[in-house]
Amino acid sequence: MPATTEYQGSFLGRISIRRNQVMNMDGNHDQELEDIELFQRHISDRFADLLSSSQQQQPSSSEEASTPAAAVDPFLSINWLRKLLDVFLCCEAEFKALLIMGRDPSQISKPPLDRLIPEMLDRAVKALDICNAVTNGIETVRHCQNLAEIAVTALEQKPFGDGQVNRAKKALSSLMMEMTGEDKEGGSYARTWSFGRRGSAAAASTKDRGHLHLRSHTWSVSNNWSAAKQIQAMTANLQAPRGNDASGLASPVFIMSTVVVFLTWTMVAAIPCQERNGLATHFPVPKQLVWAQSMIALHEKIGEEWKKKEKKGSVGLLDEMQRLEKSAHSLIEFADNFQFPAEEERVEEVAAQVAEVADTCRKMAEGLVPLQLQIREVFHRIVRSRTEILDVLESTGKVSAPIV
Amino acid sequence: MEPPERYGRETTGFETAEKIILRWDSTVSEEAREKMIFEGDRCEVDRYLQAVDEIQRSMSSTTISNDDQTKVNSAIQIAMARLEDEFRNILLVHIHAFDIDSLLADLGSSSCSRTNSRRESSDFLEEDHLDQEETPTSTAASAALVRDGGGSGSGDVLKHIESSTSAVSSYRSTSSIREVDLIPEETIEDLRSIAERMIAAGYLRECIQVYGSVRKSAVDLNFKRLKVEKLSIGDIQRLEWDALETKIRRWIRAAKVCVRILFASEKRLCEQIFDGVGTAIDDACFMETVKGPAIQLFNFAEAISISRRSPEKLFKILDLHDALVELLPDIEVVFDSKSSDSIRVQAAEILSRLAEAARGILSEFENAVLREPSRVPVPGGTIHPLTRYSSDPSTPDMDFSDLEGKTPLELHLIWIIVILQFNLEGKSKHYKDTSLEHLFMMNNVHYIVQKVKGSPELREMIGDDYLKKMTGKFRQAATSYQRATWVKVLYCLRDEGLHVSGGFSSGVSKSALRERFKSFNAMFEEVHRTQATWLIPDSQLREELRISISEKLIPAYRSFLGRFRSHIESGKHPENYIKYSVEDLEISVLDFFEGYPVSQHLRRRSQ
Repeated sequence: MPATTEYQGSFLGRISIRRNQVMNMDGNHDQELEDIELFQRHISDRFADLLSSSQQQQPSSSEEASTPAAAVDPFLSINWLRKLLDVFLCCEAEFKALLIMGRDPSQISKPPLDRLIPEMLDRAVKALDICNAVTNGIETVRHCQNLAEIAVTALEQKPFGDGQVNRAKKALSSLMMEMTGEDKEGGSYARTWSFGRRGSAAAASTKDRGHLHLRSHTWSVSNNWSAAKQIQAMTANLQAPRGNDASGLASPVFIMSTVVVFLTWTMVAAIPCQERNGLATHFPVPKQLVWAQSMIALHEKIGEEWKKKEKKGSVGLLDEMQRLEKSAHSLIEFADNFQFPAEEERVEEVAAQVAEVADTCRKMAEGLVPLQLQIREVFHRIVRSRTEILDVLESTGKVSAPIV
Repeated sequence: MEPPERYGRETTGFETAEKIILRWDSTVSEEAREKMIFEGDRCEVDRYLQAVDEIQRSMSSTTISNDDQTKVNSAIQIAMARLEDEFRNILLVHIHAFDIDSLLADLGSSSCSRTNSRRESSDFLEEDHLDQEETPTSTAASAALVRDGGGSGSGDVLKHIESSTSAVSSYRSTSSIREVDLIPEETIEDLRSIAERMIAAGYLRECIQVYGSVRKSAVDLNFKRLKVEKLSIGDIQRLEWDALETKIRRWIRAAKVCVRILFASEKRLCEQIFDGVGTAIDDACFMETVKGPAIQLFNFAEAISISRRSPEKLFKILDLHDALVELLPDIEVVFDSKSSDSIRVQAAEILSRLAEAARGILSEFENAVLREPSRVPVPGGTIHPLTRYSSDPSTPDMDFSDLEGKTPLELHLIWIIVILQFNLEGKSKHYKDTSLEHLFMMNNVHYIVQKVKGSPELREMIGDDYLKKMTGKFRQAATSYQRATWVKVLYCLRDEGLHVSGGFSSGVSKSALRERFKSFNAMFEEVHRTQATWLIPDSQLREELRISISEKLIPAYRSFLGRFRSHIESGKHPENYIKYSVEDLEISVLDFFEGYPVSQHLRRRSQ
């Protein structure tokens, strides 16, 4: 019989009480309760980690030196996202073990699971599409990285002359257009003409080809697919289990579903992908659920950031992109006001900013491919779990809700 | 305003060059905006390029002052911006859409050994020609291919390609890749000369970006014409399987064109322009161009590979699998660089998922057959629906030839039949009547045998040995049936027990005889009534069994009648005992296994 452990006060209080109530049940049920409890605790711990690593924000350089063990990954940076993906993979593995292993298959086709599992599988499919959209969106990020690198190359050359500055300006303008214009219709030019083209053969022939868009990337889904809508659909039927349901498998199913929703929502907020207008900021997790506290806090934090940036035509909350945007603004300002020769202090300022951009680009160069690979791993994992659950359901031979 | 002449430096060369560069500075000069250098006079082109070279030489010269350095840098930047525009313009002018029809026709030939290709070519004749103009040449080419049949001789095929006036102006005959000249050679020279200079000046990134964005649009254009899908995984899960089958077929055709022609040609173009100009730049440009489209292409196949499994999907999934297997070597060739790892990996992943899906479907089906739970015996002992579903190929025009060489599949099918028989045996036990049990087995196994015999491919896969075994099985079931039913009936007609020795009439016991006749009549009536309602669907089998019954029944009865009728007829009410003539029996046997109840009143010949 499991001892009633009391971590951090009433953390397990609610569960302990419930366990007392069911102490009469057979050992299997006890084991299951313990597993569920463990699962909840792990979720809580992992997200608490994420939250605390994100709270060690933007320290000044002196602080950085004094807290060497502190998480140096800024909130919503590439590395932080990778941590989040890792957390997901861990949670998912545990969840699947809980749901499937050593369990009589017929248990997962009984109510309320007979409704909840198909809903979960439907969310899985949406999550897969979002993985693809985000992977695609990372190409946009890479494109911005390339443009920024051009500006860096240009501005690293001393002394500053019209040549480098113009080159940088051109790259930075494209960068800004890429960052703010990617959601608009009509396509944005990846590389702008350096002048307006009128009546040239090329323009004419461009017309002949019927609106040849020179977008830096095309989406591989149809125009009416929207990440925001997908997430909304995933959230719509997400409901915390109540009453008797809350003590059974419905609880981990709900927990895992919130993790999936949180993950996909965060990725969509961070990385530019098709159609994020109207990204909901409501998280349907009751605030009193103990295991969810950190997740809720993170969600609020991200939600606030999103609201702030949404009006400006967001390029995504990815830390590296935000930094790029900020630097690009001030560098463009510098370039616009540039007159040869440049003043000493301006030169120093610019040099610092250029170094910052270079650093951001380096982080992107190092981190984007691993990030894509990790998203791909998440993709595979979701596919595998879905297939396994479908197999289990097939073997019981009955499903009450239609499964996608 | 011209700078004063300096003495002792290459100013003249530089200044001239600078002038030319500045003249073409489009941010300043109206004229420069209106015209493109590379569309004009070749001399001007050469002059400009030389000017650029001159400036670049000055860059690396150590004998210029800081001021001049700035001027040089400025000139370079202006030149590079200009070259970038020229580069883009040249590329834009040379975007051509492929002649899709002839491409499809050419590729229809490359999957020679598979009848799939026959279907594919004729398919596109039906489908695509509805949308696009018919080009006589391509029709001839594909018609010729259809005549050629699934055959062989790539020699014949190449002849067809050469004779048809398609847009394929050049091709490599290695494997099945067909590269097309996307851009004429002189133009490539121009592009190359621009690229070299841009890269030498450190403007590599700009160059790659321009190239990538324009060429990617070209690829997208062809994608649209090939109707490459833009469906999400969610969309695909929700579509009806019929609709998906069409899309899969279309995808297989499109994928072949994309990998073997489209992507291969783009790769060649990159090599033509960038080979030798710096390291792996052609790879970078190629990836920039095709990575997105390639992922879009494979995402469809991936979505299919993860869709829910069900039996009717088996053969299309195998089709898709086979198509990818065929394409894989070409994918490896086209996407051979490190930066394209992810695409190769994705293709391999999709392939293994498709194989897994096929295996999963087969094993699920197998489980269904094994565990098919109905305990209600099929009325009349006829063919169980599961037998029909298992033995009948699920699609009427199913074509097994493309399963050639798939020994595991063959084994698997045999295994399924074994399990089916096992299941059937289990079911047959539910019949209370043992005769019916055997009849049921006979019917069903015979059905399987007939189906296998009727399909040469199935027969080849199952093999004659196993076929013989199954034939033996149903024959044995027939024998068991006869034993179960007729032994006891014929028992009534036996000799033993009828003769009594000693006593008054050494001869036949009339009472025993009467009993015998009564029993026989009753039994036969019962059997006749019951087994008329039983069904043997196969007419030949039905006939054979009836003949077999008659062969045992009629002579026995005739002989019995012959020997003993006089004893009955000499007694009272012979009609109560001799109810049937031989002919009556013969006629009654014809009622057996028709599946209809017969009237209870027996036909009786008037005596």
